[in-house]
Amino acid sequence: MGVLSWFKYRSPFGMAFMFQRITGLILLFYLCLHLAYLTSLQSRDLYESLTALTVSKQFFIFDSLLILCGVFHGLNGLRIVVHELGFAHEKRKAVLVISVALTILGWILGSYILYTALGD
Amino acid sequence: MVVTVIECDIAIVGAGLAGMRSAVAVAEKNRKVSVAVIAKTYPIRCHSVCAEGGSAAVLRKDDNFDLHAWDTVKGSDFLADQNAVEYFVRECPKEILRLENWGCPWSRNPDGTIAQRAFGGHSVNRTVFAADRTGFHEVHTLYERLLKYDNVEFFSEYFLTNIAIEDGRVQGIATIRLKTGELEFFKAKAVILATGGAGRLYGFTTYSHQVTGDGMAIAYRCGVPLKDMEFMQFHPTGLVPSGILMTEACRGEGGYLRNKDGERFMKKYAPEKMELAPRDVVARAMWREIMEGRAFEGEHGPYLALDLTHLGEEKIEERLPMIREAAIKFADVDPVEEPIPVKPVQHYTMGGIHTNELTETPVKGLFAVGECACVSIHGANRLGSNSTVECLVFGKVAGEMALKYVENAKETRISSEFVKEEEKRLFDRFGKKGEENPHAIKKELNETMDNYLWIFRDENGLKTALRKILDLKERFAKVAISDAVRKFNVALLSTLEVGYLLDLAEIVAMGALLRTESRGAHYRLDYPARNDEKWLVHSLAYYTSEGPRFEYAPVRITKWKPVERKY
Amino acid sequence: MKILIRRFDEKSYWQSFEVPVKRGMTVLDALFYIRENIDPTFAFRASCRMGICGSCAVKINGKPRLACETQISKFKEIKVEPLDNFRVIRDLVTEFEGFFVKHKKVKPYLIAEADYENPVEQLQTPQELKRYYIFSLCIKCGACVSVCPASATLEGYLGPAALVAAYRFNADSRDKGKEERLKIASESIGVWRCHSAMECSEVCPKQIEPAKAVQLLRRASLR
Repeated sequence: MGVLSWFKYRSPFGMAFMFQRITGLILLFYLCLHLAYLTSLQSRDLYESLTALTVSKQFFIFDSLLILCGVFHGLNGLRIVVHELGFAHEKRKAVLVISVALTILGWILGSYILYTALGD
Repeated sequence: MVVTVIECDIAIVGAGLAGMRSAVAVAEKNRKVSVAVIAKTYPIRCHSVCAEGGSAAVLRKDDNFDLHAWDTVKGSDFLADQNAVEYFVRECPKEILRLENWGCPWSRNPDGTIAQRAFGGHSVNRTVFAADRTGFHEVHTLYERLLKYDNVEFFSEYFLTNIAIEDGRVQGIATIRLKTGELEFFKAKAVILATGGAGRLYGFTTYSHQVTGDGMAIAYRCGVPLKDMEFMQFHPTGLVPSGILMTEACRGEGGYLRNKDGERFMKKYAPEKMELAPRDVVARAMWREIMEGRAFEGEHGPYLALDLTHLGEEKIEERLPMIREAAIKFADVDPVEEPIPVKPVQHYTMGGIHTNELTETPVKGLFAVGECACVSIHGANRLGSNSTVECLVFGKVAGEMALKYVENAKETRISSEFVKEEEKRLFDRFGKKGEENPHAIKKELNETMDNYLWIFRDENGLKTALRKILDLKERFAKVAISDAVRKFNVALLSTLEVGYLLDLAEIVAMGALLRTESRGAHYRLDYPARNDEKWLVHSLAYYTSEGPRFEYAPVRITKWKPVERKY
Repeated sequence: MKILIRRFDEKSYWQSFEVPVKRGMTVLDALFYIRENIDPTFAFRASCRMGICGSCAVKINGKPRLACETQISKFKEIKVEPLDNFRVIRDLVTEFEGFFVKHKKVKPYLIAEADYENPVEQLQTPQELKRYYIFSLCIKCGACVSVCPASATLEGYLGPAALVAAYRFNADSRDKGKEERLKIASESIGVWRCHSAMECSEVCPKQIEPAKAVQLLRRASLR
């Protein structure tokens, strides 16, 4: 069943595995978009119009989700690193809970900072 | 019709402890001879993995061979062939050490030496163990060792249906390859049968579902006599209601048996050895308590208590971890807190295919070893921890004997008549609607055996059982297999297995009826005494179309004359 | 109680069976009931019924479990399917040859000098035994392989069970074959294909933590 098996999780761990891949793909996609965005720096008008569109309260929701993806991918990645070094397998449930808790915290914090920066 | 014939020098049927040890024995001596290990399940799923308690051997200075032999002979109620027992005890220590060298994770003393524990009927603590999963670890060690040899090939999920014999010489075997459902034949110069016991004759039994006496029944039908089949061992502590074994080691590590009054009733029956008397003595004691109304009553019937609560959690976790897990999982009882509900359960087949002390049967090139064979080491009652090591000791003998035999053997052949007959016999009733359900027949057979061929037997019960078995055999003839798809056809398999069990049941019942004495595990309420003048003999059952014909052969006595058996 | 089984004979189909339920009944008891009373063609593997032979691993309500150890009373409805990542032969019976071939690849036997004719006792302290003992409890049921995403996507991946066996011997104080096994385990289809989904550790009926064994092998292969 190949790659589709990634989306057939059976435990919270499998779900984390699945989201790691999904967020990874999203971040990859975002990276490409971002590079395309930066190439628009050739023309001042193009840059300002794109910036006006994307750095705005309407676009906030996408940025917030992007923060979620980034924070999740990074913290989950750290969780994986801990386990791949051979540590804390017996306490893996606690490690996952902490990782998810920190992700949510990081997401709220990051979104808040971004939101207040958009204040004007 | 395309016929698949696989050629090999030695075909070993059964991949349990005995079968795999024979394969190792051949491969260690000769890397050119081709060995086929053929079994109806994958090797590590054999019934040997269920063995729990341990393997006995004389390892330390406080023990000696004569003592182990005496314990075994007395335990067998003097029916064991003493020349074989004397050889057996001298080989046990080397087998333990060989397994150790091959990676078996024996439990250890703090100084790193192999630990030994107490077991029923043994005068000295000589039972070597690997936690309480000894059989499991021994099987995996042997299987892993066999992966090293290029001349050993596994044929897993091949179901034995017949043995080809011509001019008193074995030619090979017929099997059904489960994956395709087709007949596949093995042309071999020597065949070693290591197919295990016949526990699924009974309803309340410790055996795996697949142990249906295949090799024994087929050998019997081919003219090889079965020896001492009336001796069925009843293990004192089977978990209620599943029948899962609660190893003798529970008592070896200090557990107590109590009736409903909280009393350690073994004091009345075996004041010296108490709970560590041999299994037949303890089983009878427990059944007496049940019959006389001193057992607990539960929703699954009467039971007695196996009390481990005084051993403490640490000791139980170290020495009996699987028992604790099983009691919690299958009976909802934690042995650390509460006593375990137990009842005597059918556990071992002392009888089997008649062999001499070199594992040879009367058919040239056909050998039998392990529980399916009867040398006899265990006589009328087996001591705990003697069977696993018997498989190892005689596995080596069988392998080496088979090797010696094939070095001078002529070519064998699978005749086309044999192939045609087999195809007809097995698939003639295919795709037709039968009048009887083989599973219902098996259930009735189990009930009959549980009621009349249990721990206490008498003439009326045995006669009733025999009548019932013959009636079941008649009904069985009307079974057909409605499933015409050959691939993994479990209907065909179940039917063949019930056929084997019915043949064996008739032999057990008749043997028990004819033996008018009580010895070891065979106890007659109408003949409660042991009769050495008439019955110090092995029973041999030969196949005839009207039912088994019985002959008797003397027991080999070397050192120990029979005495009263008191514990 | 109604039990839904995903059967297979040339093609896959669901079939529902009505099974009478008693207290303490396991899923395996139900499967036998179906075979013995309703449909004698119903194929599944089972042997010891006490969780030590590994035959009866099947997917129950989406999670691989040993049928003999799973109580029916735990569930309101039951769906039984064959294990994932294995080719189905018939009904709940799957192809296990490949599983054992992968196991054999890692040389899962003790590599050490041994005198066959006159064996000598080797010492091993209880502490040394403890280091590898839990990994020797693998019953080869295939549950770990059935949930492993790496096994699902890469045919040749050795898989958690084989790697547990490799670690079990590397950690055995009597073994002298560590280098050989590490070489095999650290090949491209070995330990580096694991991405720590940890589902294997979640489903192992013996609580072995195959994910841990794989990581410990990685650590050893980097030395």
